[in-house]
Amino acid sequence: MRFPVPSLLGLYGVLSATAVSLVLGEGEGEVTGLETQDQPPHFLSVRPSLAKGYESEANIPTKKYFTESSFHHHYDGRFANSTLPEEKVIPYLSNLIQTYLETMNSIGAETWIMHGSLLSWWWNQKIFPWDNDLDVQISEPTIHFLADYYNFTDHHFEIPGVEGGRTYLLEINPNYVVKSTKDRLNVIDGRWIDKSSGLFIDITAVRPDDDKRKRGYPEALMCKDRHHYDESDIFPLRDSYYEDVPVKIPYAYAALLAEEYGAASMTKTDFQGHHFSDESKIWEKYSRKMKRILRRAWRGDDLPKRSGTEPLIRMDDV
Amino acid sequence: MATYESDHELDDSENLSYHHSSSSSSPSRFSRISRPLIESVRNGWQSHSNISYHSLSPENDKNPRWLQMTLSVVAAPRFRRYVVVYVTLFILSWCGWSLFLRPLLQDRSDLLHSLDPASKSESGGWFGSNSLPKFDDLIQVRTLDPDLVPMAPLEGVDAAEWKSKRLIVVGDVHGCKEELVKLLDKVSFSEEDGDHLIFTGDLINKGPDSAGVVDLAREHSASCVRGNHEDRVLLFRHEIMSPTAMTEAEEVQSQIFSSKELKERALARSLTDEQAQWLEACPVILDVGFVQGMGQVAVVHGGLVPGVDFEKQDPSSVMTMRTIDLDTHVPSASHDGLNWAKMFDKHQSILHTSLKHSNADPHSQTTTVIYGHDAKRSLNIRTYTKGLDTGCYKGGKLTALVIQDGGKQELVQVKCHTNYSKDE
Repeated sequence: MRFPVPSLLGLYGVLSATAVSLVLGEGEGEVTGLETQDQPPHFLSVRPSLAKGYESEANIPTKKYFTESSFHHHYDGRFANSTLPEEKVIPYLSNLIQTYLETMNSIGAETWIMHGSLLSWWWNQKIFPWDNDLDVQISEPTIHFLADYYNFTDHHFEIPGVEGGRTYLLEINPNYVVKSTKDRLNVIDGRWIDKSSGLFIDITAVRPDDDKRKRGYPEALMCKDRHHYDESDIFPLRDSYYEDVPVKIPYAYAALLAEEYGAASMTKTDFQGHHFSDESKIWEKYSRKMKRILRRAWRGDDLPKRSGTEPLIRMDDV
Repeated sequence: MATYESDHELDDSENLSYHHSSSSSSPSRFSRISRPLIESVRNGWQSHSNISYHSLSPENDKNPRWLQMTLSVVAAPRFRRYVVVYVTLFILSWCGWSLFLRPLLQDRSDLLHSLDPASKSESGGWFGSNSLPKFDDLIQVRTLDPDLVPMAPLEGVDAAEWKSKRLIVVGDVHGCKEELVKLLDKVSFSEEDGDHLIFTGDLINKGPDSAGVVDLAREHSASCVRGNHEDRVLLFRHEIMSPTAMTEAEEVQSQIFSSKELKERALARSLTDEQAQWLEACPVILDVGFVQGMGQVAVVHGGLVPGVDFEKQDPSSVMTMRTIDLDTHVPSASHDGLNWAKMFDKHQSILHTSLKHSNADPHSQTTTVIYGHDAKRSLNIRTYTKGLDTGCYKGGKLTALVIQDGGKQELVQVKCHTNYSKDE
């Protein structure tokens, strides 16, 4: 890998310090001895140098960079052998997004939530209780910046109630320089991985859609996962909160949600075996009784059933 | 025996001329007209008895009897006249029904169904049931100082002592300062005489003098609401002014941002702190409160979802909505669809009807919304919604709704002579 070791170590120390101070509210940085020798590169300070060329359309990679584990497609197999117990998934995901947002915020990298995460933010600014993945996007200059200065960086966080804290890895897909949507094996540009559990966040870069811009859409944006946007739907970003930490939200969030999931996604209060409580503003799992009522209504199995197993005998047979 | 030929028999003779001579029909027709009539008389029954008795023309042989009868009925002149009259009447009434009456009734029943609480469970829920996200640097609701609101003249108060008040609500200005000055002149705006100026948002951007309009509004201590253009420009300004931001070279910027974004960023940068602070203080919803003769009044930029409290209205939608979904009540900035104002107006009129019996003053419970944003629909005045964006920066008009004591309303407009959208 091409990052200089001392600067990385220094960076690691500074980052840990910021991260720890953000989580604990006081500076308790780790001792690395090398910190602050090199100032960590700040996103905007290097932004003008980020105009970059791309691989040509002909060189579409034939290998997938990020692989999923054999046991579950939302776990990174390099860091885990099994899924987490069901009740632990949401707290782990919550820490995952909190640490990601804190880190991006402290290095000044522009990122925002999208897709399912944006929808869950819309409802109550919390991860859906049935979710097991998170979606974030970054702008194009940011992916260059992260690839150049922060690829394969570890970020350690003290987490209340977790002994020894957790370490998170930022990994950028080297195929991010291939812009074409034909690269279907590498639609994900980066990952923020919880090294203790293997859970990760998919990071996707949003880039200018040059083809479409040439055809007269000056605001066209695209991702390698074949999502298309208008610049003014995403920018300027709004400041809000998700899982109790500051987060950026795309400008026209309601329009984006309506387009991706339909208008009813913002109004239907029953979803995935959960009901959105009007009082608590939380997605509550259906109680057993509720489930029975709903199942009855749906499957009609409250119809009378014949007891016993003997077949029907027709009267004229007797 | 000689017979005098009727029309049909004349036709026969014409047909015959086809059969008997190889000459074209026009000379024969011509010669027939120029000949004395007597020459047309002949003993037709003798020479062509089979034709004149059995059929009118050779091809008619193939037509069944019922068709012949129909044809002869149609051929009757009076019948034809009536057919024309009745067909026209039918087409007219059908057009009236299908183009006017049926859509009207359909709209009405759709709206009633859409607003019926019973259909809420049918669609799985309505817009506004989420826990509203918090946004930094955005004020949701602000209440107007009640001292500024016009009242009904009280009896027993001397007319000379009575200080009348007016609210002047102005639609989207978009930096057209000249036109705004003209409009204020036309309504003879005077703060000293109890006038208060309110803007429906989008004071800035697109037009020639955004900063001038903001300064004028501040001079007159006007009230305003946050429009989508204020929203975008202020968000960009926050980004630019944040401690982590740095100024970038022009050519780098033009690589990263589209021309629309570049313009908005330039405007954001050009605003002074005072101007930006004044704009930041504009709420998404301005609650004017109770206006005698009008009921509750609110000012927003885009619109409001019926039946949702001010505090629970989604701010981004309030600033951008034009249409609304019938089933889910989800608003949209799209031009195509049901105008949100139509639904809101219906909702309020249903509310008014239901309050009539129980409440002495049903108007105190209804809300009238004054808004801008929809230049395409232009002036859109209903009982409970007043759309004032008449596209001034595109060379349309600038509109003010003047609310006087007792809730008397008057529209005042000035023409905007320059189309600034051409410069874009």
